[in-house]
Amino acid sequence: MKVAFFPGCVSKGACPELYVSTQAIAEPLGLELNELTSAPCCGAGVMSEQNRDLTDALNGLMLAMAEADGADLMTICSTCQGVLSTTNYQLQHDEARLAKANATIADQGFRYGGTTKVKHLLWMLFEDIGIDRVAAAIKRKLTGLKIAPFYGCYILRPSEELGLRERPERKGYLERLITLLGAEPVEYRGATKCCGFPMLTFNRDKALAMGGNHIIEAKEKGADLLVTPCPLCHLNLDGQQPDAARVLKQDIDVPIFHLPQLLGLAFGFEPAQLRLNHHVVPTASALEKVELKV
Amino acid sequence: MIRDHDVIVLGAGLAGMRAALEAARCGADVAIVTKVHPIRSHSSAAQGGINAAIGEGDSWESHAFDTIKGSDYLADQDAVEVMCQEAPGDIIEFEHMGVIFYRGPDGRLGTRAFGGASQARTYFVGDITGQALLVTLYDQILKAGVKVYEEWFATKLFMDGGACRGMAVLEMVTGELHLLRAKAVVVASGGLGRLYEPSTNALICTGDGYSLAYRAGAPLMDMAMVQYHPTTLAGSGFLMTEAARGEGAYLLNSLGERFMKKYAPNKMELAARDVTSRAEATEIAEGRGIDGNVLLDLRHLGADVILKKLPQIHEMALDYLGIDMIKEPVPVRPGMHYQMGGVKTDVEGATIIAGLYAAGEVACVSVHGGNRLGANSLLDTIIFGRRSGRASAGYAKGTPASTGGEELLRSEQQRLQALLDRPYTGETCAGLRLELATMMDQKVGLYRSDVGLHEALEKLDEYRRRYENVAVGDKGRVFNQALTFVLELGFLLDCGETIIRDAIIRKESRGAHTHIDYPERNDTDWLKHTLLTHRGDGREPEVSHVPVTITRWKPEVRTY
Amino acid sequence: MQFTIEVGRYNTENQYDPNAVPGPPFPPPWDSSPARRYQTFSVDLPEHAVVLDALIQIREYQDPSLAVRCACRSAICGSCGMWINGHANLACKSKLAEFTVDGKTRVESPPSMPIIRDLVCDMKPFWDKHLAVRPWLENKQPVPPSNQEYRVPNASMEELIQEVSCISCGACLMDCESFAVNPDFLGPQALAQAYRYVGDPRDAHTHERLGELSKPGGIWDCTHCFECVQQCPKGVAPLDQILKLRKLAVDAGYTNNPGTRHADAFAESVKHSGRLNELTLLPKSVGLFNIIGQLQTLPSAINMVRAGKLPPLIHKTIPGIERIRKIFQRVGGRFK
Repeated sequence: MKVAFFPGCVSKGACPELYVSTQAIAEPLGLELNELTSAPCCGAGVMSEQNRDLTDALNGLMLAMAEADGADLMTICSTCQGVLSTTNYQLQHDEARLAKANATIADQGFRYGGTTKVKHLLWMLFEDIGIDRVAAAIKRKLTGLKIAPFYGCYILRPSEELGLRERPERKGYLERLITLLGAEPVEYRGATKCCGFPMLTFNRDKALAMGGNHIIEAKEKGADLLVTPCPLCHLNLDGQQPDAARVLKQDIDVPIFHLPQLLGLAFGFEPAQLRLNHHVVPTASALEKVELKV
Repeated sequence: MIRDHDVIVLGAGLAGMRAALEAARCGADVAIVTKVHPIRSHSSAAQGGINAAIGEGDSWESHAFDTIKGSDYLADQDAVEVMCQEAPGDIIEFEHMGVIFYRGPDGRLGTRAFGGASQARTYFVGDITGQALLVTLYDQILKAGVKVYEEWFATKLFMDGGACRGMAVLEMVTGELHLLRAKAVVVASGGLGRLYEPSTNALICTGDGYSLAYRAGAPLMDMAMVQYHPTTLAGSGFLMTEAARGEGAYLLNSLGERFMKKYAPNKMELAARDVTSRAEATEIAEGRGIDGNVLLDLRHLGADVILKKLPQIHEMALDYLGIDMIKEPVPVRPGMHYQMGGVKTDVEGATIIAGLYAAGEVACVSVHGGNRLGANSLLDTIIFGRRSGRASAGYAKGTPASTGGEELLRSEQQRLQALLDRPYTGETCAGLRLELATMMDQKVGLYRSDVGLHEALEKLDEYRRRYENVAVGDKGRVFNQALTFVLELGFLLDCGETIIRDAIIRKESRGAHTHIDYPERNDTDWLKHTLLTHRGDGREPEVSHVPVTITRWKPEVRTY
Repeated sequence: MQFTIEVGRYNTENQYDPNAVPGPPFPPPWDSSPARRYQTFSVDLPEHAVVLDALIQIREYQDPSLAVRCACRSAICGSCGMWINGHANLACKSKLAEFTVDGKTRVESPPSMPIIRDLVCDMKPFWDKHLAVRPWLENKQPVPPSNQEYRVPNASMEELIQEVSCISCGACLMDCESFAVNPDFLGPQALAQAYRYVGDPRDAHTHERLGELSKPGGIWDCTHCFECVQQCPKGVAPLDQILKLRKLAVDAGYTNNPGTRHADAFAESVKHSGRLNELTLLPKSVGLFNIIGQLQTLPSAINMVRAGKLPPLIHKTIPGIERIRKIFQRVGGRFK
């Protein structure tokens, strides 16, 4: 199926492994990725705080691009998903705001009619691609791995705007997927919590403690790795993990996988093809359990 | 531990906090004792608004007349005059404190209509008026730095030489019993709704202050006057504010008729509460109800009015009945709501006991007489809360510090220990409370009869005997609610007895007291208050009467 | 209908039901006091019953020693905020049927607050924060005479109903993720109340309040996780109020803080290239001349370089960047 694909800034920047692994799994899933190369950053909720009209226009532009494509807009980032879902919901429910956003992007030749559906890859697996197709693509069961899901706030909250009221099952997709891939999901409180990234630049130590605590909890529950659909969570949980360990005065050493990397492994790709050798926290310990090496 | 203050206020609802704030402003060292955090107080549940004659074309006299007519002429007119004259100033004061009252297009305070009122004079904040006043007042208490003994439970007033000098108080978190001494005490502990099942009242409304003051020697006045609110939610009994009807909602019977046209052709749904509740009961009794309810229909008000002006009841009907009032009418029925009677005070909040003051629902000034008008209760709390705060602080100024009280502390400790030591006999506190409250609703509710009331009194005697066998199901010290529930049941028994006795005495029908054996109002014999004074356990209270104060409004036939 | 309730019991006097079993430890850094135990009760209640109905029935007819705060039963008094299935909720507003997971409902005192007994927590941290924002009107002068109200538009009052609707149940703070790691954070309820006064046209201290709120522990210490919006039973949406405060604070000139620098650097990057440049974002947020702050971020940067993860040094612009810049121009306001 064809989707309008918004990779998000992080997969094109500090987390190239996410971009690469997404490209890798597209084919086995039958996804035709029409990348919106000229779509701007969603603003990550940061810019909207100070200038909502601006982010309405920028996100309206992106939604209009997808609309023009006649395809659903697919994200691979919980934060992009949250910002786009929320803006989309608000533009769809507030005619004045939609009109204002449209007035801004009109002379660029765009108009948003309010029909685009924004969907994270995780949701598409269950709702559009179909779990049977995912199962059919599995070439390597991840049996023996204990995997802790880490959703990231913005794919769960605010639940109304994210459509979780109509589809409460979205709260459990990661666990179901982990099971489907042959691994065992770890149940722990941190799964739905905040990684701390939004606070990293304001209050570094607390932000590191926040993320670190969740990883430690998962580790104590036996997790070999965490999997996340959010690259911003990944930046904090993987990129900052050694610092978090310093702040918490405790070894952590738990690898963090992007969602497409986990899928890619199950689909038979080699770890290096998924850039699992380019993480701050080495992934070897987890890969050994499924008899793989980086 | 023993601590001393000038003034101690029991209760942290609107009346209590207003009294404490005023006493503090008068320079008194004041402390509040409350069994729950102030914000949890039941004042927050008052939804619809607060009355005052502020607008052009309105007058305090008109407000007073409506109040007196609403009271079925049992209110003391001098007290009503005070309340209605001072109402505008006190409401403006709350506005200056920060209450976000609704405004009209000119930016000035705006009103809504309410039951029994000849004009729209109810000021409001959505349907959370009580909460808006309460949080604002609490924040003023914080600003003034008033000491609050929070989650401290009063067990007995400290009497010395015939005057009230403080109280014995159980600190819930530690289980320690303290003596708090004061030169003056203001009882503002709220109502007694738990005496009735169902009731709109919170679980904390257990009549503590009535019983404490009664046992200290203060007479209770007109206790028979128990108000049933016309619109309480089917099932749970939660309050559906009168503001719904103030905004234009209809009451419908099973035939879809606005039946109030038969009972109050002029005011329709906005008749006084006693009239409306009886009308509903009649419709239901004559077979035009729906499963024991009538319908409150708001659909024609539209989503905007409902969501902006009545959001809380919209949410409650949705949460507890699954009914969206924008689309469907809500089943409601009359339910116990308010006690008009209480500790007899003058307009300064003073009781006949030196050093003992009372304000709010627990007090009876009397401004509500036989039936309170909607949106007059919040007004009562802030006017007489303020007045009792000022009067108690003034009294404290000329009074030497209290001494002694160790004996009371010891005897209360022994009493509580004896309660804790009682063996389990099978009699439970909750079971007995439910029996009592169900009985009160059935026999001392909207309609009363000689036979029913005497049965009720017999039942009450039986419950008192059984109460002696109720064991405390928790032997610990920390946050022992099982102990406080047993103490509360004791308070409720005193309240129940005085209500039943007062109802037996009053051989007429007036306001909320509808006596089927004496269906008419009888101004010749009963234009007077009844006072009951405690004479010790096992003895009947002393009965006395005082005339109703009439200033300028002669009793008339009451129609709406 | 039969419901199974697992109640977290706690009692310093150690009087447990012999059948109570120890619970699992709570995740750090929350209270994992060994005195907690879970006790299972079975209650028979109507299908639409709420969690509080079950607790009251247990307390009244099964175990009178169960301590639980409650008063109004209808989501007005705010007494019964507690953890239900691991999240803060009002017991009186939570339907048992909806909260039955794997055949049971688990209730307990929130581990983020000190505990007193069973389901009764110590709300002191909550009230201390409430007091810390000076939650009272500082009257704008001149105060109208005692027979006149402030004349303000009704819309300005209606705007505050959302914050005044707060019933101080504490659910937002109980699940606040910043509070969990930072006890000094003022928290969602207090900040929503701060907005209630900042947003009041009758208040004279708007500027001072915004200054105070911009300090550490204030508006910039929120991690933006939406837990408070999700848990609030009254629709106060504290995070929305915090974000309003951030904007007002920046507009009022309180810009010398990492939060404002972060937003400015973020927007600058998007305006320049259409995308976020992580390479410059962090140092700019910390403050280019904040040497210590810069050094703190250095080890992470080195780790990322070693892993080959750092963003490309030459930050590429997206195609059609002119379009984005025009939108920035056209909207105007901050970031223009």
